[in-house]
Amino acid sequence: MTCEELRQDYTSYALGIAVEPERSEIAAHLSRECPNCVPGVASAMATVTAISGAVEIKQPPRHLRRRVLAAIEPAPKRWSFGVVLPWIITAAMSLALVTIGISGRRQGGDSARLEQALSILNDPATRDVAFGETEKPSKGRIFVSAGKGVVFIGASLPRIDRGKTFELWVIPAKGNPVPAGLFQSQPDATAVFVRPGPVDNAAAISVTVEPEGGSAQPTTTPFIVTRL
Amino acid sequence: MFIPGIFVTSMTMPGMLLALELSSKHDEDLARRLQRRDSIAMAEIYDRFGRLAYSVILSIVRDGAVAEDLVQETFLRVWNRIHAFEPARGALGPWLLAIARNRAIDHLRSLSAGMDRNAYELDLREHPSLFVDMERDVLNIDHARVIRQAIAKLSANQQKVIELAYYEGLSQTEMAERMGEPPGTVKTWVRTALKHLREELGQAVEA
Repeated sequence: MTCEELRQDYTSYALGIAVEPERSEIAAHLSRECPNCVPGVASAMATVTAISGAVEIKQPPRHLRRRVLAAIEPAPKRWSFGVVLPWIITAAMSLALVTIGISGRRQGGDSARLEQALSILNDPATRDVAFGETEKPSKGRIFVSAGKGVVFIGASLPRIDRGKTFELWVIPAKGNPVPAGLFQSQPDATAVFVRPGPVDNAAAISVTVEPEGGSAQPTTTPFIVTRL
Repeated sequence: MFIPGIFVTSMTMPGMLLALELSSKHDEDLARRLQRRDSIAMAEIYDRFGRLAYSVILSIVRDGAVAEDLVQETFLRVWNRIHAFEPARGALGPWLLAIARNRAIDHLRSLSAGMDRNAYELDLREHPSLFVDMERDVLNIDHARVIRQAIAKLSANQQKVIELAYYEGLSQTEMAERMGEPPGTVKTWVRTALKHLREELGQAVEA
């Protein structure tokens, strides 16, 4: 389609609601840096931005500022790149496989999760523990940053029935396990799970099989328990 | 008429504060410092846009905990992609808000197996090149007032489609199903609503 034919759909595209074939056509024009469509959509973006500027203002919680800033702390001094790189590659490849494995529908979320994972891996204070000796055949590695979150990378995970899910737990030195998110394995029994956000007083991480929707406390014996 | 509970209908104290904090005079400097990995600049950008980003995301996901996660993702994405941003010509606030809205819409779509989710397109729609030479004051209080008044002038159906598009990220096909109307009718409402908004904003937004 020509730029002239696409003009009236620039704002729909900027808003994310353009229909086919205009949507794909505009995307294609943008991809090749079309001199007409790039400024046209950019102008339409101003309309969408103006709508954003008209939302009702809500006050974010005070701790959010600290959390945002913790996520971008400087690159590690303690870890050498050579040590971190294999795990970055592992995480990236695993996330890519996850993305491919679900037909590309979750690419945006996984891209964000990859960024979160890299942020956690890059935290100089991140602790990492391997599991597999006592959890055979399951094996993998868990990264825990007190300020940024947890990355779980596992392979040879047990098959679970439909209606069940894996649930990650943060176990404090004192007190009950704290739910830290639900995840499913891929058909090849691997999983990469990123749980962003502060992790308080974690003494261990465990994984159990729970009913779909998760549990407030573990209802089965953990098949992975790693002390930090 | 306006979309109930969504847009504020008159000048409010938060809106006035918003106008103050969205002063754009430091955007270029902020962007350059972010490119130099200045974490203090990150604190400043959060102080300037964090509240608005949180408000945009919360208005879409309607869940405070999720909104916090997505605000963090938004600023992390800005931090990781700032090198593609042109400090001298780019509009930092609008770019950040586009990322914020995209994260929220992507989250909604991740929750619904039936909804189309195209990450590549989201990336295209938040590419820094689309925020070059945009009027940096697009977020100021005058524009907010204009857009509210413009939305209030729309018909009920036009307001509804803008609400479904902006706050729920529904495609026009999905809107048609939700509203029980023919896709062609919805498409007409969308086009006319957006045309009205652009016309109302014409002098204010477009150079």
